[in-house]
Amino acid sequence: MSDTAAPPGKGARERLQRWLPKLVLSPSCVLILFFVYGFIAWTSYISFSNSGMLPEYTWAGLRQWSRLWGSWTWGIALHNIWVFGLLYIVSCTLLGLLLAILLDQRIRAEGALRTVYLYPMALSFIVTGTAWQWFLNPGLGLEKTVQALGWESFSFNWLIDSNMAIYTVVIAAVWQATGFIMAMFLAGLRGIDGEMIKAAQIDGAPAWKIYLRIIIPQLRPVFLSAVVVLAHLAIKSFDLIVAMTGGGPGNATAVPATFMYSYAFSRNEMGIAAASAVFMLAVIAALIIPYLYSELREPRS
Amino acid sequence: MSFLHIDDVHKHFGETHVLKGIDIEIDKGDFLVLVGPSGCGKSTLLNMIAGLDTISEGELRLDGRRINELHPSRRDIAMVFQSYALYPSMSVAGNIGFGLEMRKVPKAERRAAIQRVAELLQIENLLSRKPGQLSGGQRQRVAMGRALVRDPQLFLFDEPLSNLDAKLRVDMRTEIKQLHQRLGTTIVYVTHDQIEAMTLATRIAVMRGGELQQLGTPQAVYDDPNNLFVAGFMGSPSMNLVPARIADRDGKLVALVEAGETTLALPIVRDREALEGWCNRQVMLGLRPEAITDPTSANRDGGEIFEADLEVELVEPTGADLYVVTRLGGISVNARMRPGSPPQPGEDTRFAFDVSRMVAFDPESEARIRTAVDADAPVQAASA
Repeated sequence: MSDTAAPPGKGARERLQRWLPKLVLSPSCVLILFFVYGFIAWTSYISFSNSGMLPEYTWAGLRQWSRLWGSWTWGIALHNIWVFGLLYIVSCTLLGLLLAILLDQRIRAEGALRTVYLYPMALSFIVTGTAWQWFLNPGLGLEKTVQALGWESFSFNWLIDSNMAIYTVVIAAVWQATGFIMAMFLAGLRGIDGEMIKAAQIDGAPAWKIYLRIIIPQLRPVFLSAVVVLAHLAIKSFDLIVAMTGGGPGNATAVPATFMYSYAFSRNEMGIAAASAVFMLAVIAALIIPYLYSELREPRS
Repeated sequence: MSFLHIDDVHKHFGETHVLKGIDIEIDKGDFLVLVGPSGCGKSTLLNMIAGLDTISEGELRLDGRRINELHPSRRDIAMVFQSYALYPSMSVAGNIGFGLEMRKVPKAERRAAIQRVAELLQIENLLSRKPGQLSGGQRQRVAMGRALVRDPQLFLFDEPLSNLDAKLRVDMRTEIKQLHQRLGTTIVYVTHDQIEAMTLATRIAVMRGGELQQLGTPQAVYDDPNNLFVAGFMGSPSMNLVPARIADRDGKLVALVEAGETTLALPIVRDREALEGWCNRQVMLGLRPEAITDPTSANRDGGEIFEADLEVELVEPTGADLYVVTRLGGISVNARMRPGSPPQPGEDTRFAFDVSRMVAFDPESEARIRTAVDADAPVQAASA
């Protein structure tokens, strides 16, 4: 460093230039460190404590974790998230791909249709959940309307059937996210070289084989992105379920997020809630970190 | 009976008339190059032959049968695309064999065909790779392999070399030509590069604005252009086009060209009968750079030579040749001379004009002024 040799004014300015970016960024760095990573650490610690209604810092080892895994409700929540997540990811991906393929056939009013399919994504989950709750409520929505139209015996009461309620949540969630997934696939389809499709036509491949053998294999990165986006949306799903079923009937639509909320704020079991939150974080991290690593890595030549 | 007959083919895209009645016939084993500036309709025509674009009017016949309505896969054609259009998710062998697989050729037979083509193109060691792992030239070979493996009646090439770098392009050009000579296949090839057209073709079709300007052997198109456009488009450096006036000097027909303070009287040798009607009128003279040279390089056996001293404007050595620029009729004119002792700019040097190679054009209609039956002018490539 030649700071001593340089005139004092110039040295100060150089120092300022060197430090300015760090100065500007540091407040947000500090805030993120504290409120994100700090609280992650805090929650992790709480999950190993004896906390009940209020946080308490006595070390309890794996007590809360074993209570969590012994809990019957947690079992239901895990089962539900499996059912919900799997159906949600598979249906959104397949429907999104199908819609994108249909929209890609150079149809008229494509722009308008694309917007229509994308609109649900602009709604908050609370609005979606409330609207679907009204729509599927046997006393208010679909069932009542169809019966009023004359089909007296029509019945669609999944929302209040504890065996079927989780599927109504799937329907609402799929309705909301399919348009977004469709947009991702559409972008992928638009990126495919038209000459390749011409070549396949000359090679004698029928349209469905062109899609199956040539186009869809090229959409692999889109599939990966779609699954990662949907998977973490599924695990985080909370507001939709709260608005639609409140986790009910009974615990029929409880998922880890609603489990965590009810244990933390209404059952005064902060320790178990913290353990469930840390578990969810671990699952999402297991999904996102490899994905981000593969995306942010230097692109291969 | 011609092998491929493009019979008065039109193409409309809504209001726009893209192809305005194209008539081309070629024989089996011909290498037809469609050449022209971008937007001339050459790629559209190729896509119509392939069946990737519909034909608005006219008829397309391959080996005597009408193929207008046939699906691309049933026309017995294969196509090589500009972007190569390889299937990225399949291996090289999968790419080459895909067409056979779609035609339900048994696996063993397919493997043998892939092997045969891979040997022909020297890509046997690449068969298990994916297209993403190949260089541009290797992809080009795979794309050709995919076309060759099916052994079709007609090969279509859509600017296949334009994505390669200059050196590789020349190598691949040679290879395509060798392949054509070895296999005797019939090829329709689209390019905007007139050198590619000259080197590869047995028949060149020069197109502009959806119209066929000239169809003929490369030499005919080069030496005997139909109009100003063809004259200017083919050849590099391009043909010198100089304004002149036709005059009668003591019973001899000459073209008067202004050269600084003096006027050159170039004797008319070619198309004399036609040019007699142009006495005292303005024409556009066309002279290839190699038809203007130094007196020692001039070809005195075949042609009639006219010599004149002219001022040198610029000298451009290329190593093999020396291009000397002078001014005729207010236009810079390129002359190709022997390298060695180049004349200095600003000095006078002696130029020799091979007037027997000189052509003349109507400056208004841009059409060639030519005597109907000219010994050295096979006008349209007739299929005998």
